[in-house]
Amino acid sequence: MFILELGCSRRFLSEFLPKGKYMKMDRSINYLWSLLFLMVLAVPLSASAMEMDDCLGCHGDADEVGDELFIDADKFIPTVHAEMGCVTCHESVTDEHPDDGEAVSKSDCLDCHEELGSQYMATEHAEYAVCSDCHDPHQVHGIEAVSGPTMNQQCSQCHEDTDVMDSHAEWLPQASLHIRKLPCITCHTSAEGYEIVLNITQKQKKAEGLKGYRFSSYADLKEISGEKEIQSIIDIDGDNNISLAELRTFNRNPAYKNFHLSGTMVPSEISHDLTTLDNRYDCTFCHASGPGSIQTSFLALPTEDGYYRRMTVEKGAMLDTLYGTPNFYMTGSTRSPVMNIIGLIIICGGFIMPIGHGTLRFLTRKNRKH
Amino acid sequence: MAEEHQNQIYLQPIPVRIWHWLNAFGIITLTVSGAQIRFPDYIHWLGSYKSAIYLHNTAGFVVAISFSLWFFYYTFVARTMANLYVPKVDDFKSGIMRQVKFYFLTYFLGWENPHHPTPDSKFNPMQKSVYLAIMFVLMPLVSLSGIFLTNVDPLRSLIVMIGGLKLLAGLHFLLACCLVAFIPTHVYLATLGRTPTDHIKTMWTGWEDEGEGHTEEPEKSNSTASS
Ligand code: HEC
Ligand code: HEC
Ligand code: HEC
Ligand code: HEC
Ligand code: HEC
Ligand code: HEC
Ligand code: HEM
Repeated sequence: MFILELGCSRRFLSEFLPKGKYMKMDRSINYLWSLLFLMVLAVPLSASAMEMDDCLGCHGDADEVGDELFIDADKFIPTVHAEMGCVTCHESVTDEHPDDGEAVSKSDCLDCHEELGSQYMATEHAEYAVCSDCHDPHQVHGIEAVSGPTMNQQCSQCHEDTDVMDSHAEWLPQASLHIRKLPCITCHTSAEGYEIVLNITQKQKKAEGLKGYRFSSYADLKEISGEKEIQSIIDIDGDNNISLAELRTFNRNPAYKNFHLSGTMVPSEISHDLTTLDNRYDCTFCHASGPGSIQTSFLALPTEDGYYRRMTVEKGAMLDTLYGTPNFYMTGSTRSPVMNIIGLIIICGGFIMPIGHGTLRFLTRKNRKH
Repeated sequence: MAEEHQNQIYLQPIPVRIWHWLNAFGIITLTVSGAQIRFPDYIHWLGSYKSAIYLHNTAGFVVAISFSLWFFYYTFVARTMANLYVPKVDDFKSGIMRQVKFYFLTYFLGWENPHHPTPDSKFNPMQKSVYLAIMFVLMPLVSLSGIFLTNVDPLRSLIVMIGGLKLLAGLHFLLACCLVAFIPTHVYLATLGRTPTDHIKTMWTGWEDEGEGHTEEPEKSNSTASS
């Protein structure tokens, strides 16, 4: 029941609050407010007395309704959408469903996601793909919970990997490295900032015929953390913040030699404007924005249900000379100041001979006249 | 030997000269483009970042090819690699000290270079050790690390094994700085011939004047400071 009103109250709110303010609430929804509205509005609007569990009783069982109509309860229930229940989005469903043969309404994402939605609908890409092509409304997650490769799977449904690789290689140096490492949306949305996300990555077993590295899953990490939480592998003091010292300890631990932290860049705010890419065409958007912009970083730890949660990483870790993030290096932006100084000293050393010897040579030139 | 080269010896055969100048211009190009790649926020000499990257990669390729030419020529054609580049026991015992004494003392007094280059013994003991370090340690390591850095994805596990991408990039940078430091020292020492351009001309034409009283004659030599 309470279900429905959440959705309604949000829409209702949006009518009355100034847009900016409403959108802020959109992110951190005020459930107390919603509850209040629930009291007032709920009863008269509901068309069905069925609860989420009732719906899932049939739709959570593929044998009952078929694969097409199957909703994976394990994946749906942990999402924020589940907090609203089913009827919020399927308002027209009646108590007689499915026997009434009536089509069930499916709410429009734009009702609730007004800003992102209208931003997207205004772009050319809206002609090619609708929200549900990329998002399963029953399995939504925020960007912090989704890994880069998973995000890119959304795109690769329509943009074949090889096509993308070929077309980008025409202008992008190291195209395959970029495409493999980066979420498409880092370059293909208009977000103006980015942050670094580190993932624990492990060597695949040769015995299984696999090469290279892949992101470690929760189960992989549980194997090495044993009794303890997987977070303890790297967050030794358990404060949900990874310090430089903890990073170094992890990176130098010989027991983890098959693991390493691989870094990527994700937009720091979600935008759905897929058209703004001019500055991404200029490599220095990422490769020169320099030490300042490389400061904000997170570690993404896998969760039991296959998603991720983020922990903050101490500022400066990306720029640490050797052991902060030994495998995250971006030319131009993660150069180490210590090395720059050593390099400068070496080069200056090359001038000792010309200057020192040259001066003496000049002063003693008479000795060599014959 | 032609008339005009009567008082000259043919010191630098064509393959060596081709290699040397490809290498010299290649390394200067690498230095400039490399500087832009590392410090894009301050250096824009070559236009866009992308052009710096492409230029750097191309120059790296040219230098690697010319390095192979050098190696192939000395090892298999002239077969003088070991003789020319590897210091002998004697060189260590007394040769190096003799040469150091010359460069830093007797040179200023106007004495003659104790070493006289011949095609079979082009380098003085000091040159030998420096060239050995440059050609057998620095150049291969810088090239190798550069090859790794252009193939990060396929070579990922190797890179992780040797201590990470950052270490590799740092190594590439610092070793390249050593090569850069070698240039001013090397060019300076190359001016210590009878006339400042003597050795450089030799490197261009192949012919070295043997003639009269070599006052000094170190060809270019080597450095102390470079590494
Ligand atoms: C008794 C089992 C059962 C229950 C309970 C049930 N459904 Fe259904 N539902 C079905 C069947 C069977 C269909 C297919 C009906 C058809 O094709 O006409 C269906 C169809 C639908 C559709 C339409 C799919 C489409 O693309 O047309 C939606 C949406 C839907 N159900 C949502 C719900 C919601 C929301 C609830 C809970 C309020 C719910 N269902 C409860 C069995 C059930
Ligand atoms: C956030 C809104 C939202 C919630 C909450 C929601 N749905 Fe849906 N549902 C949709 C939308 C939108 C579609 C249409 C998807 C499409 O067009 O592909 C849909 C489609 C469906 C379908 C048709 C099959 C399919 O997957 O396309 C069924 C069945 C269904 N929903 C059942 C449920 C049930 C059962 C629940 C609660 C457990 C639920 N929905 C909760 C928005 C929602
Ligand atoms: C071309 C694919 C694509 C389309 C179409 C698309 N999105 Fe997204 N959306 C993404 C990606 C990728 C993310 C980031 C990863 C994630 O959260 O799944 C995302 C994230 C989101 C988020 C989460 C934002 C956050 O704060 O983490 C919302 C909300 C969202 N999209 C809504 C929409 C709506 C509404 C539409 C339709 C108007 C839509 N999306 C259409 C790809 C798409
Ligand atoms: C009834 C209102 C409602 C509808 C309709 C709705 N959403 Fe949401 N959605 C929410 C709320 C509330 C949240 C959580 C707060 C937020 O992120 O804005 C949310 C969050 C999300 C997220 C981020 C999940 C996270 O964990 O941060 C995505 C992605 C998303 N919605 C996509 C969609 C898509 C795609 C549709 C259409 C199929 C849709 N939503 C329809 C209310 C709705
Ligand atoms: C449902 C299919 C579909 C999905 C999913 C999809 N696209 Fe597209 N996209 C298209 C089609 C069709 C075109 C137009 C033809 C073309 O240029 O390939 C297009 C064009 C584009 C273009 C070039 C046109 C423009 O708007 O500038 C970009 C960039 C793009 N998509 C990025 C993405 C990204 C990034 C994702 C994943 C977040 C994604 N697409 C997911 C179908 C899709
Ligand atoms: C390094 C930034 C970057 C990344 C990462 C990236 N793109 Fe692009 N992409 C661009 C730029 C810039 C253009 C425009 C190129 C042009 O106009 O010549 C483009 C063009 C496109 C186009 C339209 C032209 C074409 O090739 O058909 C599509 C579609 C596209 N990208 C899809 C993707 C997908 C899918 C991914 C993820 C797998 C992705 N891109 C990753 C920067 C990027
Ligand atoms: C503009 C820059 C340079 C100038 C003017 C220059 C000049 C010279 C000259 C005159 C010689 C002949 C003297 C001798 O045999 O010792 C020589 C030899 C040599 N140079 Fe250079 N050089 C330059 C750059 C470089 C660079 C960048 C490298 C290596 C990184 C290099 C490596 C060598 C080596 C190894 C020899 C010995 C070649 C042989 O005969 O086998 N030079 N150089």
